[in-house]
Amino acid sequence: MKENSINAQDNIYKPAIMKVVAKHDEAPGVKTLRIEFVDPVEHERFKTTYRTGMFGLYGVYGEGESTFCVASPETRKEYIECTFRQSGRVTSVLANAEIGDLITYRGPYGNRFPIEEFYGKNLLFIAGGIALPPTRSVIWSCLDQREKFGKVTIVYGARTVADLVYKHELDEWMERDDVELVLAVDPGGESPDWKHKVGFVPTVLEQAAPSPDNCIAVLCGPPIMIKFTLIALKKLGFDEKSVYTTLENRMKCGVGKCGRCNVGSVYICKEGPVFTADEVSRMPAADL
Amino acid sequence: MTRILFADKLDNCLERWRSAGISVIGPVKKSNSSGYSAVTKAAEFDFNLVLPERSIKELFFPQSEPLMRYEIKKQEINTSEFKAPTSERIIFGVRPCDAAGLAIDDPLFGWDYQDEYWFQRRRETVLVTIACTKADDFCMCTSLKLTPDSEKGSDILLRPLENNSGWQVEELTDRGREAFKIIADLLQESQEKAAPTAVVEEKFDLEAALAWLKEPENFESHFWKEISMRCIGCGSCTFLCPTCHCFDIQDEGDTYSGIRRKNWDSCSFALFTMHTSGHNPRSTQSARWRQRIMHKFNYFPGKFNLNSCSGCGRCSRQCPVDMGITETLQELSKLLR
Amino acid sequence: MSIVEQYRTKVKELLSSGQVKMVIGYGAGTTPDRRRPLFMRSPEDADKMLLDNACIANLSGYLVSEGLLSDEKRVAIMLRPEGVRSINILAAESQLKAEQIVIVGFDTAGEELRAIEGSEAKDFCALIDSLKESAPLQAPDPLFERIVQMSPQERFNYWQEEFSKCIKCYACRQSCPMCYCRRCIVDSNQPQWINTSSHTLGNFEWNIVRAFHLAGRCVACGNCDRSCPVNIPLRFINRRMGMEVLEVFDHFPGMSESQEPVLASFKKDDPETFIL
Repeated sequence: MKENSINAQDNIYKPAIMKVVAKHDEAPGVKTLRIEFVDPVEHERFKTTYRTGMFGLYGVYGEGESTFCVASPETRKEYIECTFRQSGRVTSVLANAEIGDLITYRGPYGNRFPIEEFYGKNLLFIAGGIALPPTRSVIWSCLDQREKFGKVTIVYGARTVADLVYKHELDEWMERDDVELVLAVDPGGESPDWKHKVGFVPTVLEQAAPSPDNCIAVLCGPPIMIKFTLIALKKLGFDEKSVYTTLENRMKCGVGKCGRCNVGSVYICKEGPVFTADEVSRMPAADL
Repeated sequence: MTRILFADKLDNCLERWRSAGISVIGPVKKSNSSGYSAVTKAAEFDFNLVLPERSIKELFFPQSEPLMRYEIKKQEINTSEFKAPTSERIIFGVRPCDAAGLAIDDPLFGWDYQDEYWFQRRRETVLVTIACTKADDFCMCTSLKLTPDSEKGSDILLRPLENNSGWQVEELTDRGREAFKIIADLLQESQEKAAPTAVVEEKFDLEAALAWLKEPENFESHFWKEISMRCIGCGSCTFLCPTCHCFDIQDEGDTYSGIRRKNWDSCSFALFTMHTSGHNPRSTQSARWRQRIMHKFNYFPGKFNLNSCSGCGRCSRQCPVDMGITETLQELSKLLR
Repeated sequence: MSIVEQYRTKVKELLSSGQVKMVIGYGAGTTPDRRRPLFMRSPEDADKMLLDNACIANLSGYLVSEGLLSDEKRVAIMLRPEGVRSINILAAESQLKAEQIVIVGFDTAGEELRAIEGSEAKDFCALIDSLKESAPLQAPDPLFERIVQMSPQERFNYWQEEFSKCIKCYACRQSCPMCYCRRCIVDSNQPQWINTSSHTLGNFEWNIVRAFHLAGRCVACGNCDRSCPVNIPLRFINRRMGMEVLEVFDHFPGMSESQEPVLASFKKDDPETFIL
C-alpha cells in the first residue's frame, strides 16, 4: 500500500503523448478510450511502474487535464484504457476524440491494490454505476491469473440497464464458470427483458450474502452507495481491514503539490487512491 | 571585531555582483505597493519596510509560471518546455520570516517528485537576510518559535548596526560565502555594535493550539464556523503567504497552440475543490478556513515535521476583514483552558 | 447618551425582542485603528459593538452569503448611506427582500458620527435623493483628476502599471456587495471567457470585466479599494464608470428597491450614443 511510483522525468508536469487506438460507447455520456504511448521510453516507464489502482491525468492541450483511474489491468500494459463520463471541459473534448487522435497522459500516480496479499483468498467485487472502471482494473488483474485466487464474486449495479458499463465484459463474466456475477439495476431502471436483480446494491449484496471467510472485498461507487454498502458488509461479517475502496477528489498536479485533493491529512494523490475501509473510517467524514 | 558591510559600499557591491553575472533583488516600494524586485542602485532598496507587502515566494513560485508551449498539427503534438532561469541571483534584504518560509516549502516541492521550477531557482539564489530591528502589531515569528534574527533558510545573516550605517555580516552557508567572497575586500573589520533585534511578543501558545488541532473530534467543532464567519473567501492571505503553495494548472490558447501554466490557487476559493459533478468536499467558507489552518498546523507538520507558517503575519496584516492565523490560533489556544 | 450607547441599546432590543436573529455591525479589530465585522446574536454581544469613524466597511455583502437569509428571518445591519443603496440594489436585483433587512443607519461624512433615522431601506429615500444631487460635487481627489486629464495612452500606461501588481486574489470581488454571482465569469471554463492567469493580459481582462459588471451598480463604498492587498486604486475605475452612467442615463444606483438596473432595462428614450 505504501509503494509509490516515482516519476523519473525532469519535468513532473510534462505529460506523455498518447494515440487513441480504440473507442467504445459504454453508456449514455460514458466512453472508453484505449490509448497507446507514442514514445517507447514513456511506455517502458509505464510498464515498470503501473500497478492496478493507480490513476493518471488524461489531457488535451488547450483544455487541460482530468483525473481518472487506469481502467485496464496491470496484466495488460501494452495500452491504457480509461472510462469516463463526459461532464466537464476536458472530458467533453476527450469524448470526441477519434481513433488516431493524440491526447496526453501523466502518470501512473498513487498507490495500488496489494494484489499479492489477495493470493489464495476469495474475492468480492462490488461496484456501482460509473465506478466499475477502477474495480474492473482489479477484476482483470485477478482473472488474468485466476489460479491464484479462490472464489470470485462480482456485484454490480447501475441506475438503469442503459447505465451499465462494459456490457460486453459483463456478458463474458456471466458466462464464466469461475466467476459469479450478480447484476442489478435500481428499482424503475429495469427494461422489459431484464433478467437480473432489481434493487439497490447494498440490498442486493445482502441477499447474495457472500461469506466473509478468507474474503477480500473491493468496493467502488458513489459516496452514498459506499456508505450503505459498508453497513451491509459489516452485517455480513466483513472486517473493515479487508474491505478496499478507492477515493477520488479534484486534482491538478497528481504528485502531492497542488494542495487540493487531501481528505484531512491524507493526500489522495499520493497516499491513495486505494484505501481500506478502516483507513477511510479514520478520515474526517466532513472532508469527503 | 566583526566584519561589517557599510551601507555606503552597497553600490560597489551591486557593481561587483553584476560584473560577476549575478543579479540583485531586494525590498522595493513602487506604485504604492512593496515587494522584492530587481535593484540596480542601492538607493532603490527600502530597508525601512518592516516587511514587503508581497512575500518572497513569487521569486521561486511565480504567480503564473509557463510550463509548456504546445502546438498541435494533424496527428502531431509539438511541445517545448519552459525552464526556470539558470542565472544566479542574490536577494539582498530578505526578512528572516521570508527566508524561513522558503525552507519550509522545500520538502513539499521535493516530496518524491522534484519540482524543478522551484529547485532550479532555489539553487541559483543566495538569500542575504537582514535581522529585524523593527516589528509591527502583526509580526508573530516568535509565536512560531522563530526569531527576528532567525537563520533558517538564509545564506547570509546581516545585523543592522546601531547607528544604521551598515550591517554585521554572518556567513551561514557555502553558497553565502561564495557570494560574499566577491565583495570580501569591501567589508571592513570593526567594533561597531549591532542594534538590538526587534521585540516580538509571543501572541499565542503554539503547543496548545497544535494539541487542540490534533484531536479528531475538534474537526467538526463549532469553533470553525464562529472564527470564520467574517471570512469573505478571497485569496489575499494565501497569495501573500510565504508558505502557501497551492496551485492550478491552466491552458491558455486554442486547439492549435498555446501555453500551459501553473498559476497560484487558493484553498479559500469555493471552486478549489469542486468536483465536476458539483459535489464540493469543502463547500462552506468555514470548511475552507479550517483546511487552511489544519493544513498549516496539522497536516504539514504530520508529513514534514514543520509548521507551514513562518510568522510573517501578512495574512492578518492585509486581511480585508481583519482575520488571520494569529487570531485563530489565539482563540484555539484558549479553548483548552 | 452617545450614539454608540444608543445603538447598543437598540441592538439589544432588536435581539431580545426577537425582531431579528442577528445584527451585523462592527467590533474592535487587531489594532486600535481597525474595526472588524461583528455578528451579534445575543443581547450581550452588543457590548462588543463599536461605532465610530473607523467603521467604514460596507457590510451588506454578508447578507447574501451562504444562505443567511434563506430562513426568512429578519437580520439587522449597521449601514452608512452607501450601504443602504447596496440593499436597494440587491433588492432590485432580487437577491434579497428589503423588508427582511432592518437597517441601523449611521453616517461618518464630515468627520462627525451621526445616527440616521429609519429602519427599512425605504425610510432612507429622501437622504439618497439628496446624495444623488450632490454626487457630481464629490470631494475632488487629486489623483483622480490627474488620471482624468491623462491622454488615453498615458492612462493606459497608468493602469497597465497598476494592474501589473494584481495577484488575482479576488479580494475586490469578494468584498463587493454587488459581486454575488454563484459562479463568477472568471470561474467559468466552458468557454473560458477570461484568462485565469495573473499576467498583464489576464489582469487587464479581469479588472476591466469587473468594472463593466459594476457600471450602474457600484455605490462607491470603497470596499474593493480598501481590500486590495497590492493597493490598486480600484475606486477610480468604478467612480469614473459611475459618473458616465449618471451623465448618460441620469442613473444613480440604489435610490430605491424598485429602481430598475440601468444596464438591464430598456427605455425608449435611452440615449444611444454608444452605438457607433
